Amino acid sequence: MFFGSGVIKGMLVTLKAFAASYFRGPDKGGIFTVQYPEQRLAEKENFRNFPFLVYDKTPDNLRCVACDICAKECPPKCITIVREFDKDNKPLKRPAVFSIDHTVCMNCGICEEACPFDAIFMDHNFEIASTDRQGDLLLQKEALLKSNDYFNKIRPTDASAIDAKRAEAEAKKKAAEQAAAAKAAAAAAAPKLAAAAADKPAVPTEPPKTV
Amino acid sequence: MRIAVSDASFTPPRVQGRNTRKGLTTLSMMPPLEFIIKMGIYALMTVCVAGALLSVLFRNLFHAALALTGVLLGIAGIYLALHADFLAMIQVLIYVGAVMTLVIFAIMLTERFGDASLRQFNHQSWAALGGGILLLTFLVRMIQTTPWPVKNQAALASPAVTVVQLGEALLGPYVFPFEIISVILIAALIGAIVVARKDLEA
Amino acid sequence: MEFMDQIFVNLKSTVLTLAGGFLPPWAVILLCAAISLGVIAVIGPVTMMYLTLIERKVLARMQNRIGPNRTGPWGLLQPLADGIKMLTKEDIVPKNADRIVHLVAPILIVIPALLVFAVIPFGKNMIPADLSVGVLYFLSISSTTTIAIFSASWASRNKYSLLGGMRAVAQMISYEIPMVLSVVPILLVTQSLSTGAIVRAQGAYGGWGWFVFTPWGFAAFITFFLCAVAECNRSPFDLPEAESEIVAGFHTEYSGMKFALFYMAEFMNAFTLSALAATLFLGGWQGPWLPSWAWFFIKTYALIFIMLWFRGTLPRFRVDQMMNLAWKFLLPLSLINILVAGFWHFANPPLAIGGSIAMLWASGWIFTRLNRDYTPEKRTYLFGE
Repeated sequence: MFFGSGVIKGMLVTLKAFAASYFRGPDKGGIFTVQYPEQRLAEKENFRNFPFLVYDKTPDNLRCVACDICAKECPPKCITIVREFDKDNKPLKRPAVFSIDHTVCMNCGICEEACPFDAIFMDHNFEIASTDRQGDLLLQKEALLKSNDYFNKIRPTDASAIDAKRAEAEAKKKAAEQAAAAKAAAAAAAPKLAAAAADKPAVPTEPPKTV
Repeated sequence: MRIAVSDASFTPPRVQGRNTRKGLTTLSMMPPLEFIIKMGIYALMTVCVAGALLSVLFRNLFHAALALTGVLLGIAGIYLALHADFLAMIQVLIYVGAVMTLVIFAIMLTERFGDASLRQFNHQSWAALGGGILLLTFLVRMIQTTPWPVKNQAALASPAVTVVQLGEALLGPYVFPFEIISVILIAALIGAIVVARKDLEA
Repeated sequence: MEFMDQIFVNLKSTVLTLAGGFLPPWAVILLCAAISLGVIAVIGPVTMMYLTLIERKVLARMQNRIGPNRTGPWGLLQPLADGIKMLTKEDIVPKNADRIVHLVAPILIVIPALLVFAVIPFGKNMIPADLSVGVLYFLSISSTTTIAIFSASWASRNKYSLLGGMRAVAQMISYEIPMVLSVVPILLVTQSLSTGAIVRAQGAYGGWGWFVFTPWGFAAFITFFLCAVAECNRSPFDLPEAESEIVAGFHTEYSGMKFALFYMAEFMNAFTLSALAATLFLGGWQGPWLPSWAWFFIKTYALIFIMLWFRGTLPRFRVDQMMNLAWKFLLPLSLINILVAGFWHFANPPLAIGGSIAMLWASGWIFTRLNRDYTPEKRTYLFGE
């Protein structure tokens, strides 16, 4: 090779890139930049971002029972849960306050893994920029609640698996209830045993798998 | 100084060409333009004199060098006004572009070049004053005795000296001084290399 | 065709004729100058503004990016946004800086960059001032940039600035010599220093008699263009303003509009030097089919594109490499080239073509061999260990 051929070779590389940026597609050496606000890449299903609370059908019907497991597991301690009490000061199975501080949350997904009630899941919403730190980034229960349909939309695989599991558990529970009712009707002599059998399947045995 | 400003002697060539083509008037019939050109030349002279004074009076060497650059540019402007285009351009190229740059380089390599407390006089001051006065009288005498051909219409009407003529003059009648200058420059270059070279034996 | 070619010339003469109806002759002459000055004063900064956009776009495309496209269609308003940003930025002067020189230096650097527009033939009959010493005017005026750069670096009282200034002066002095010498063959052949005459001399073969098609013209063009890139401190010769080495060199301590003036001077120099290279070697406005001014701008912007292409491709030179290129390669080559031009002028055509190509090829080969031998395999660092 002659003197200076390396320079010419290098110049041709850049010229090729320049021409390809106009005439070639993104997979053939052209420009692969995505113009973000207008164009978006399809979201990956396993993408995870700040957690949200799932409810079934109506927002009153949320799955969270305020067990405080996620708040205890959370490494940066960004979850605050206060249990709701009724008039007689008896604890209810739902939270009065459920807040997640997005300025603290580190998107680890441990809350999702720890939750025994399939109530908290990682979201896909990453556009949370705000000018108000206390108001917009400290999310309260109302802002965190999202429907099961939404969950099915963003993560169909996980959502359908969890729905199937819940339906199965529900069916088992119903069957057990029916069996218990039948047993109770048939053998009223042993009501305590039947009641114990009816309680058992209502508790999920393992936390939902996320990946 | 007896620099007479009259007729078309200070007209830029373009203005003259325009006049002759359009068959308009000579410059003397357009007093406002003549006034502007006169003022321009006075401004150039002011720049030269002020720059020359400042380059001596500034205590900071770098400021002095910049003032000297102003003087050289002003002189180039005066050359331009006197229809010596080539000389003006060479003045800028050589003096401003090359000599002043080297002067600034030299200043930079000296110690305390930005120091305002430098002395401006040394033991040779009085001798320099005498020499300066001598040079001034010589120049004034020369200006006074030279017959300036301002009124010589033939000299004004002659076409501007072209580059071709200059080249022929340099390589024709003036070839000997031209070559001597080249030899001197080569000698200076070799001398500089010899001075700057590291001693191999040592 | 003829109408399009002379449209700007006719426009100007129409304006002058109309003004001549009610203005005295001296005012018409002043108006004539004022129109030219006004056009230059607009063209210079606008060229600079859009060169910044073109540069960013081209570089982005070479790096598989898109470049500015948010402000206006294709980012066409980006230069305006940049200008507003520059104007509203705080003007910071270092505490120990020489305030006056610090202020004057950016102005001094823009003046020559604007002045050299005067001798550029933008088209047929479209030269602002056809000086008889046009090329010399260009070279001498642009050589004064050195002092402005040096003033800027010195006035900043910053060691990086001073280093950048030293580098700038050393580089510009070094590259000015082969640049001027590479123009000499053109002057020998055309026997004129006027840029207009040089363009007219390249009108042979229906507008294709460009000097770049001759062996000496080609060698001179390469030399001139490399020196032009070095003169306006563009990559790969951007040692004086090397961001990664000396923190942007001589304009480290400049901000806001003063910095913008440096930027402006650099881009206008790039434009005018490309324009001069096009004028001297690529036939200026000569060319078939298109209007003359269109040819001029096509050629100039092609050369500017090559400058950007260099920037997108080549890494920065080392100081010794940069000096070696100027003194050991370009300078002897341009000297040989003057000889070759003389040989071309006096020899018969077949001998002239073959002989000059052989001479240039042989000298180029010898210079590369010599330089290769002088390039040290391993550098020894005096204080490195």
